[in-house]
Amino acid sequence: MVDVNLSEAEKTFIVHGIQDNFREDGRSNEEYRQMDLETGLMSNTSGSARLRLANTEILVGVKAELEEPKPEKPDVGRLEFFVDCSANAAPEFEGRGGEELATEMMNLLYRAYSASTVLDVSSLCLQSGKLCWVLYVDVLLLECGGNLFDAASIAVKAALFNTKIPSVKVRQEEGEETELEVSDDPYDVRRLDVSAAPTVLTLSKIGHNHIVDASQKEEACCLARLMMAVTASGSVTATVKEGRGSLDPDSITEMMQVGKRVGKAVNEKLLETLKEEEQKGLKRKTVGFLR
Amino acid sequence: MPDTRRITGPEETQSPFAFCPQFLAQSAEAFSDGKRRDGRKAEADHRPVFLKAGLISQAKGSAFAELDKTKVVCAVYGPHEVARREDFSMQGQISCEVKFAPFSCRVRRQHVQDGREKDLSTQLLEALEPAVRLDSFPKSQVDVFVTVLENDGSALSAAITCASLALADAGIEMYDLVVACTARIHGTSILVDPSFSEENLKTVSGEKPGGQVTLGFMPSLRQVSALCYHGDTDLDVLSQATQRCQDTCHKLYQVVQDTLVKSVEQRMNNS
Repeated sequence: MVDVNLSEAEKTFIVHGIQDNFREDGRSNEEYRQMDLETGLMSNTSGSARLRLANTEILVGVKAELEEPKPEKPDVGRLEFFVDCSANAAPEFEGRGGEELATEMMNLLYRAYSASTVLDVSSLCLQSGKLCWVLYVDVLLLECGGNLFDAASIAVKAALFNTKIPSVKVRQEEGEETELEVSDDPYDVRRLDVSAAPTVLTLSKIGHNHIVDASQKEEACCLARLMMAVTASGSVTATVKEGRGSLDPDSITEMMQVGKRVGKAVNEKLLETLKEEEQKGLKRKTVGFLR
Repeated sequence: MPDTRRITGPEETQSPFAFCPQFLAQSAEAFSDGKRRDGRKAEADHRPVFLKAGLISQAKGSAFAELDKTKVVCAVYGPHEVARREDFSMQGQISCEVKFAPFSCRVRRQHVQDGREKDLSTQLLEALEPAVRLDSFPKSQVDVFVTVLENDGSALSAAITCASLALADAGIEMYDLVVACTARIHGTSILVDPSFSEENLKTVSGEKPGGQVTLGFMPSLRQVSALCYHGDTDLDVLSQATQRCQDTCHKLYQVVQDTLVKSVEQRMNNS
C-alpha cells in the first residue's frame, strides 16, 4: 500500500473525528466521496471506463478476444483480470514495487466474479470446447488517493457495462471447418448484463468504529479492513480481511451489515448513472483523464 | 540420463481427467443415505485431525497437519536479517510461501508458484500476522514455508493451523494460536471442513452457488485474523457459516494446544 507518513497527533485527530462521526473532510462514517465516472473513452477497446474518486484515478479497458475454452469448462467463456500499478501513481510502484498490490487487487476481482450467477459467462461461449469470448479486463492505476479496491471494482463494472462484443455467427457444415461470420454492421453488437455484477466495499476499522471509503490518510490509521463484494440485490460474492490487525466476530457482523447496505446503494446508483449516461449517447461531453 | 535441454513432449499437455465426464460434472447432492460423501454423518462434523510439531530437525520450528487425506507440512526459519531491506522498521516481517507438491492434486502442479498459490500465501500471511508479536524481532524476518502434500479439500485452513503451530514450536512470541476452519455453503446446507469433492459440488440450477468461507480464529482472544470467502450468497447464510466455523475452531483449539504441550515435553526429555 502507498504510505503517507502521519505523526501520532495527526492520527489521534483522525481517530477522534471518526469517533464523533465527523471525519477530517467533513463526511460522516458511512459517506462516500464525490465520484466521477465516464465510459467509452478509448476507441481501441471493446469497453472502457474511467473513474475518479476524489484523488484516486482508475482507467479500465476491456478487450474481447476469441479463444479456446478451458478444457475443464468447455461451455463457458471467461473473464481475465490484470491490474497494473503504474509508477505514475506512486514512486513506490517502480519496477516490481506495485506487484504485491496488483496481485491483491487481481485476486479480489477474480474472487468477486467467481460465482456463475454474477455474469452470464455461458453466453460468451460460441462453440462448446472450441470457441469462446475471453474478456481481458485491464485495470490501470493512474493516481492513488485511497480506497483503491472499491474504485477499481466500480470502474470494472462500468467498463463491463460499456463492453460491446461484435456479434459473430458460427457456421459448421458437415465435414467442413468452422466458419466465423462477423456482422458487417458495426452497431450490431452484444451487450453484457451486469445487473448482478458486484462492486467491492471496503470497511476500515479505525479505533472502535468502522468507515467506508477511507482516504489515504485514514488508511494510514487503519489496522484491519474488511473488503466485501456486494451485488445490487444485496448478496455477497466475496469477503477478504486485510491488514495487520484482527477483528472481533461481533464487529465483523456489524461491518458486514453496513457493507451490505452501502454496497447495495452504490450498486443501484451506479447502474442508474450508467443508464443515464448511455441515454445521452454521443451528444455528451467527454472529460478525459486526470482532470 | 534424460535429455533436459530439448522438449521431448508436446508443449502443452492436458490431464486426462479434464476429459473425463465423471470428474467434470460432479453431482449436486451433498448427502446420500443421510451421510456426506466421505461418510461423515452431520454437516458440522470435522474430519479426524492429526497434528504433530517439531519434525524437521533443521528448521527452527515445524509442524505437520492432517485432515484425513489433506496433508500439510510447515517449516519456520528465522528470525534472520532481512535481505535487500529498504527502510528501517521496528516491526519484524513474516514471509509466507504456500506450495502445492506437484503430485498433491488430481492435476499435476507446476514447480513454479502459480496464481492460486500466491493467493493462498497472502491469505496465510493475513491470518498469521495479527497473532505474532512482530515487535519482538525488529529489523528481522521469519520465513514460513508450507507444502501441501495431498489436497483433499480445506487446504487453506489446514495450512493456517499448521503454520501457527509451527510458529509456536519455533518459539516465536505470539498472542495466541490461530486455528482455521473452512465451510462450504451449498444450497441450504453448510458443510464444515469440506473434502475435495464437496468443494467442487455442482450448483443446483436456480439456486445460488453458495461458496466457500475460511475463517482464521484466535480462540482465547476471541479475534478473527482471517476471513476469506468467495461465492454468491445472502449475508445471513454467510454469518451462519462463519459462526459454525468459529464453533469448530474452539473444538480444534484443544487439539492444537495438546500437540504443542506434547512437543515441548518431548523436547525436554530429549535434552
